[in-house]
Amino acid sequence: MSPLLTVEDLRVTFPTRQGPSEVVRGVSFTLGRERLGIVGESGSGKSQTGRAILGLTPPPGRATAKILDFDGIDLRAARPATWRSLRGARMSMVMQDPKFSLNPVMTVGRQIVEAVKFGATGTRAEARDRALAMLEAVQIRDPERVFRAYPHELSGGMGQRAMIAMMLVTEPDLLIADEPTSALDVTVQVEVLRILDRLVAERGMGLIFISHDLRLVSSFCDRVLVMYAGRVVEELKASELKQAQHSYTRGLMNCLPQIEGGQRPLPTLERDAAWAK
Amino acid sequence: MSSLSRRDWLLSDQPASRRQARLGQAYRTWLSFRSNWLAMVGLAIVLALILVALFADVIAPYDPVLGGDLRTERFLPLFSEGHIFGTDDLARDIFSRIVHGSRLTLMVVVLVAVIATPIGLLVGTTSGYFGGWVDTVLMRLTDIFLAFPRLILALAFVAALGPGIENAIIAIAITSWPPYARLARAETLTIRDSDYINAARLQGASSARILWGHVTPLCLSSVVIRVTLDMAGIILTAAGLGFLGLGAQPPQPEWGAMIAAGRRFLIDQWWVATVPGIAIFIVSLGFNLLGDGLRDVLDPKARK
Amino acid sequence: MGEVMITVDGLEVTFRRGGDTVRAVRGVSFEVMRGESFGIVGESGSGKSTVLRAFCGLAPTSAGSVAMGGQGLQTPRSAAFFRQVQMVFQDPYASLHPRHTVDKVLSEPLAIHGFDRREERIEQALAEVGLGAGFRFRYPHQLSGGQRQRVAIARALILEPQVLLLDEPTSALDASIQAEVLNLLDRLRAERGLTYLMVSHDLAVVSHMCERLIVMQHGRAVEELSRAALAAHRAETDYTRKLLAASEGYSPAPG
Repeated sequence: MSPLLTVEDLRVTFPTRQGPSEVVRGVSFTLGRERLGIVGESGSGKSQTGRAILGLTPPPGRATAKILDFDGIDLRAARPATWRSLRGARMSMVMQDPKFSLNPVMTVGRQIVEAVKFGATGTRAEARDRALAMLEAVQIRDPERVFRAYPHELSGGMGQRAMIAMMLVTEPDLLIADEPTSALDVTVQVEVLRILDRLVAERGMGLIFISHDLRLVSSFCDRVLVMYAGRVVEELKASELKQAQHSYTRGLMNCLPQIEGGQRPLPTLERDAAWAK
Repeated sequence: MSSLSRRDWLLSDQPASRRQARLGQAYRTWLSFRSNWLAMVGLAIVLALILVALFADVIAPYDPVLGGDLRTERFLPLFSEGHIFGTDDLARDIFSRIVHGSRLTLMVVVLVAVIATPIGLLVGTTSGYFGGWVDTVLMRLTDIFLAFPRLILALAFVAALGPGIENAIIAIAITSWPPYARLARAETLTIRDSDYINAARLQGASSARILWGHVTPLCLSSVVIRVTLDMAGIILTAAGLGFLGLGAQPPQPEWGAMIAAGRRFLIDQWWVATVPGIAIFIVSLGFNLLGDGLRDVLDPKARK
Repeated sequence: MGEVMITVDGLEVTFRRGGDTVRAVRGVSFEVMRGESFGIVGESGSGKSTVLRAFCGLAPTSAGSVAMGGQGLQTPRSAAFFRQVQMVFQDPYASLHPRHTVDKVLSEPLAIHGFDRREERIEQALAEVGLGAGFRFRYPHQLSGGQRQRVAIARALILEPQVLLLDEPTSALDASIQAEVLNLLDRLRAERGLTYLMVSHDLAVVSHMCERLIVMQHGRAVEELSRAALAAHRAETDYTRKLLAASEGYSPAPG
């Protein structure tokens, strides 16, 4: 089976007063119908990688790549019309904070129905049914109430679920989730991840899960890319994270405190200038 | 070479003294201000106004109040020999009157800024910081002042205090602080419960210290921007009062009063009223451009 | 054990917003010994931060009492209280005044409390949190998140307090920076014999930093544990067990 997404030598550049600064420097990977984690600290370029794939690099930034292929479509040359037919319908993105991604003056239901209408044909009633079914699928107990609610009337966890419902109602082939659970409490976080997990398993969706939380990514994803200073320093199976080779990955793992008690003082990360080369 | 090192000193990431840190910060603001050419035009106009006002005695070729020969020198047109902007009905050189009028305009601008800005800041920050009944009382007072159109209220003040440029300035200042108070209050409300204010409280800082040292510096930039943008309106109000005969009194060369005096001859000797009109227009434009530029560099909300 | 440093007894905090009343803290009691590090764990809305704020007078106490070294605290808190108790806030990007240099941030508390040898104290405070003299005249926007939090810690310590209130001091920081800041806090406590009262949502951080902790949910303390009990996963309530399970990472099977 050919991969869903192929990225080769992706670069994202922002102009600054000191000249152009490259925040993503030659990232390459392929994604099948699996859960791929991208881990890194702030400034590692992980979020810009996700945005660049969707063509959402904020101006004046520019993204270039040798290959950026989504299911046979060359995204580098995509026209606005192509993007419109892809975004939402075939590829979606879930952001960290639902407050900024949901329209505050539209009910949640209406926003999901709009999303349905972008993706497919059908009557209004059908769209409504699908929206309600989707809200149920993301484990919202009272979908009718949430359907009629405005975003500010929902709690953080509810809002994030509504957001995921909106992004998934069109049954995209690729979902990019940028820190989708960082704003949520740990107990809610697990529930949201279960929803994503099930959707990948049942619908054969490709998922790129971007996070700073190595522990979470390693337990949730199939494969992990570790990014540092705009580059992928290590790619490995999530189950083999304990055997990580790169000293950055190992340093990141070791500096986390353990409930069971560990080293005191905590080992700190000695940054090596060679990692950024 | 030395200019390069001075630039490095200013832009240093590791300033070695309070002075260097402050100057470096100012220099960075200046750099971003300088890249906005419209703002630079505004700054140039305002600087020109200040220079003209300072050196009015040197620049003006004639006395602004005493006229020339009434038989031969009345209503000389633009670009006449020795009278670049012509003369008015009393044979006074219009160029000299414009130059001296800049002093009055600058005085209005400076005095209103000096009176209205502190009142607005004080009322707004106090009201926003303390909240409760203090807020209620101060804001209702502000509402009362806001409820009157500015020119009408200024007219009432001048009518009570008597006409004259000083009373006009007081009237304008008293009527222009309420918007600044509102603005400062709104800013204060957003920073009142921030952690850095809480941290100051936890150090035992008094309310006065927090208001003066922590809250006011953050409100100052948006109020200064607003005041600068309002300057055009203030100049127009002063000119309007002058036009209505309640501001500057003849023979003072106030631009608004000059328009009022020139309007009788607008058909035949149009330049008498038009030249001061253009002067008012240019200075107002200058303050607006400057205010816009300041907003771009100072407003924390506009910045990323 | 030594003497009791902090006493919180039956603390209740109720906020009134418009017509609604929100009972953020509903009867929380605990004691912290001198030199001990005590943790409060909970999710957002559990009232854990409100307990800290009520203790230092930033939130109103509607019932119950708080005491320092056996002495009841009056509202508003006295200047002497602030010399003994200081706080480090969660978000280092929000807890430093954007227009104040590090120098100003550190010199202000000294000026308020009339300390002498200010220059010396500022340099010493910066050195203690691992920032060189080159940081002294920088503005917050010239600092990274970890450096800002070090400045916030220096600000809290410059008054030489005995108690430090830590409100999620590392949750806004990257993992590697978190380790550095936690080590710094650990070292400072050992050197100065400080008493810590720390709030966090992260069980691992609290387990690393604190000898004892309470777990809060909906404004109530549901369980008190020792570090050893937490490390052995000997939780008694379902809620704590759920938190423990969630902190292990993702597990596909529900429950």
